[in-house]
Amino acid sequence: MSEQFEPNIVAFLCNWCSYAGADLAGTSRVQYPANIKIIRVMCSGRVNPLFVVNALQQGADGVLISGCHPGDCHYMEGNFYARRRLKLLKELLEFIGVDPRRFNMSWVSASEGHKWKEVVEKAVEDARAAGPFDQFRRRQIGW
Amino acid sequence: MDLNKLRETAAGIVSRDDVKYLIGWRRGTFGYRAAPYFVEDAAGVEELIFSPLCISNLAAYLTLVEKLPVPRGQEPDQRKVALLVKGCDSRAVNQLLVEKGIKRDQLVVVGLPCPGMVDWKLLAEKYPETEAPVEISWKGDDFLLLYNGQEIVVPRAEALAEKCRLCRHPNPLISDVTVGEPVQPWAPAEDSGVAEVEAKSTPERWAYWEEQFSKCIRCYSCRNACPLCYCEDCILDRLDPTWVNRAVNFSENTAFHLARAFHLAGRCIECGECERVCPAGIPLGKLNRKLAHTVREEYGFEPGLDPEAEPFQASYKPEDPEEFIL
Amino acid sequence: MSAMLLHKDKWSEFTGRLSGKNLWAPSLQGGIKKFAPVGEGDAVQLDAENTAVPPKALLFPQTETLFRFSEGQEDLEFPGLDEPVILLGVRPCDARAMAIVEKLFRWDYEDPYYLKRRELTTLIGLACNEPGLNCFCPSVGGGPASTEGLDILMVDLGESYLLEGLTGKGKALLEECKDLLEEAGADALQQKEQLVQEAASKIRRSVDPEGIPEALPGLWEDPLWQRVSAACLGCGICTYLCPTCYCFDIQDELEGAVGRRCRMWDSCMFEEYTKHTSGHNPRPTRRERTRNRINHKYSYFVDKFGVIACVGCGRCSNLCPVNIDLIDILRQVKAAP
Repeated sequence: MSEQFEPNIVAFLCNWCSYAGADLAGTSRVQYPANIKIIRVMCSGRVNPLFVVNALQQGADGVLISGCHPGDCHYMEGNFYARRRLKLLKELLEFIGVDPRRFNMSWVSASEGHKWKEVVEKAVEDARAAGPFDQFRRRQIGW
Repeated sequence: MDLNKLRETAAGIVSRDDVKYLIGWRRGTFGYRAAPYFVEDAAGVEELIFSPLCISNLAAYLTLVEKLPVPRGQEPDQRKVALLVKGCDSRAVNQLLVEKGIKRDQLVVVGLPCPGMVDWKLLAEKYPETEAPVEISWKGDDFLLLYNGQEIVVPRAEALAEKCRLCRHPNPLISDVTVGEPVQPWAPAEDSGVAEVEAKSTPERWAYWEEQFSKCIRCYSCRNACPLCYCEDCILDRLDPTWVNRAVNFSENTAFHLARAFHLAGRCIECGECERVCPAGIPLGKLNRKLAHTVREEYGFEPGLDPEAEPFQASYKPEDPEEFIL
Repeated sequence: MSAMLLHKDKWSEFTGRLSGKNLWAPSLQGGIKKFAPVGEGDAVQLDAENTAVPPKALLFPQTETLFRFSEGQEDLEFPGLDEPVILLGVRPCDARAMAIVEKLFRWDYEDPYYLKRRELTTLIGLACNEPGLNCFCPSVGGGPASTEGLDILMVDLGESYLLEGLTGKGKALLEECKDLLEEAGADALQQKEQLVQEAASKIRRSVDPEGIPEALPGLWEDPLWQRVSAACLGCGICTYLCPTCYCFDIQDELEGAVGRRCRMWDSCMFEEYTKHTSGHNPRPTRRERTRNRINHKYSYFVDKFGVIACVGCGRCSNLCPVNIDLIDILRQVKAAP
């Protein structure tokens, strides 16, 4: 029996929608993969692209960013900025040879516990297919 | 190019009481170099040149000048800075105005329609650099070299810089005064540099950039030469939090180059300075141009065309593409 | 054994034999020339142009771990510096630079890292037959076949290389390769002299440093510094790629419960180099920084160690993207009142 690769995925979730959505998934006993390490941010617009770069450097095999649906942002327009910004980041990562499956973004509202489950499953499946991402890891502790 | 006209115009500008200095170019000290040149009085204009070697983007100096505290009892120097700009340089000025990095009323912009610059490294393959500065001028579409006392015509295609082959705006887009007749824009070439990388598979792309980023010595010349990299407190110099470690290795170098390219997304005006100054020969322009293509093709935006435009990353449209979002 | 000849037929055998001993030689790495390890069977080609990155990077790595530490452990872990290195094809200027930098690392504190690496390194120099455009080594006390700092000097005689063992280390290495070498005759030595003279005559740029160290302190407020630094971008090219620049910064890097203390190249041309925590910067503009760079090389170092900390390799002039030309600055210093 071959052991399945379990990717490490860092997820940045906005406080108002996606984090609440993930919470709802939890309280509704919706099962989703445990490969996700959630970091709560106030808004998807708060996600500095360097967060993503840093996560990949520190050993994440994939990154997921999730925010409110367009128009639902608690801060009116934060997710619109995030959308522009992270699209560019996605293109840039792809261009330097990072497997696009390592980067996912979603809109999950506070009532979409089931969608959250699907999103996580997709992100995990993607990252698993892309394999371990070791090439970009910090090796500072070496000599 | 009528140098006399340029010098006359420049002399008129630097003689004004409200102008501190004019930034232009002069002949370099050897080979194919041209040096940025700060003209402070009318006598200084005699050294000004505009030739196919004047490839550097002088707009970088608008924000490089250190802002020192003004001693008590003294008035801050409010005089204007005059700047010579080619088409690409003028876009940097526009973008700086968009970002309020500079003030329009503190600038005198002298526009120079640009027939295209040479990449001296291409020339040096055939005609090695000499101790004496080499004179180059435009001759029709081609370049005319005065090399070791000999006149040599170098066909345009042999020596034209990459950024000029791709150029879409050879005429200045902003200027207070223009010297010379507007040039006829040429059809920009296909961006083969970016296309070549895009054609590779994902692992091949990674291997390509791994080789490139591994060469980086982190001298930060790409950052400093860029007219639009002017944060007073750059994340690369930050220790708390340390966004990018100072250690030079592939991982940190890659993080640095991602940060640099990303911070210029939707802002880069494709002057190619980052790539030109890189002592390690990293094709940084490809990263910037890749993002510029995306911004142009998918968002219909080109930075630096309009000083009144909205900054790309600080604005949005409800209908922005989102096919990548789950 | 003093001067030996290595016929070029035996070059690959020679380098092959050295490659088992941690051999490094100039190599083009994706467009930038620097010293790289030579594997078994790798061809070593020495050509006219010097490396862009000086071999100082081997004795004074751009990032060097001084020690490692981890939470809950009192003992520090130190690097085991014990592997000898051979550098092949080092230019006389770069070897001289190592001898100059060594004075600093041997000064009031003996730096164990640098000195250990220096001790473990054997430098096989290659005299320059074709000096580069901005070479001016004779002006600052060197020359195309200067031997200072080298263990072996190699001169390309066309058909063969002339190898001279200069130190115990160098002679021992030649002794090991004795079967590949033959005794050099008087004609070879004569040919070498001639080539060296020819090379010296091909050096195009020069500046007489006489009087510069004495003049610099008096030019502290001279307008020349504003003039020569106006175009400076404030990048680290001139200092990082200078074979005699040795400034470093020390930082701790952490990853979870483990970390390391490392030193890395720093540059006096960077704004934050002298920036205090308070925000005050005693060298607030590029003018002061440029002035410091020249003063350090041509005045402070001379005061302290009696030698100019510049070997005339021309890298700073060659590689500066805005044509800030050291020779031009020195000429302006000499011309200043």
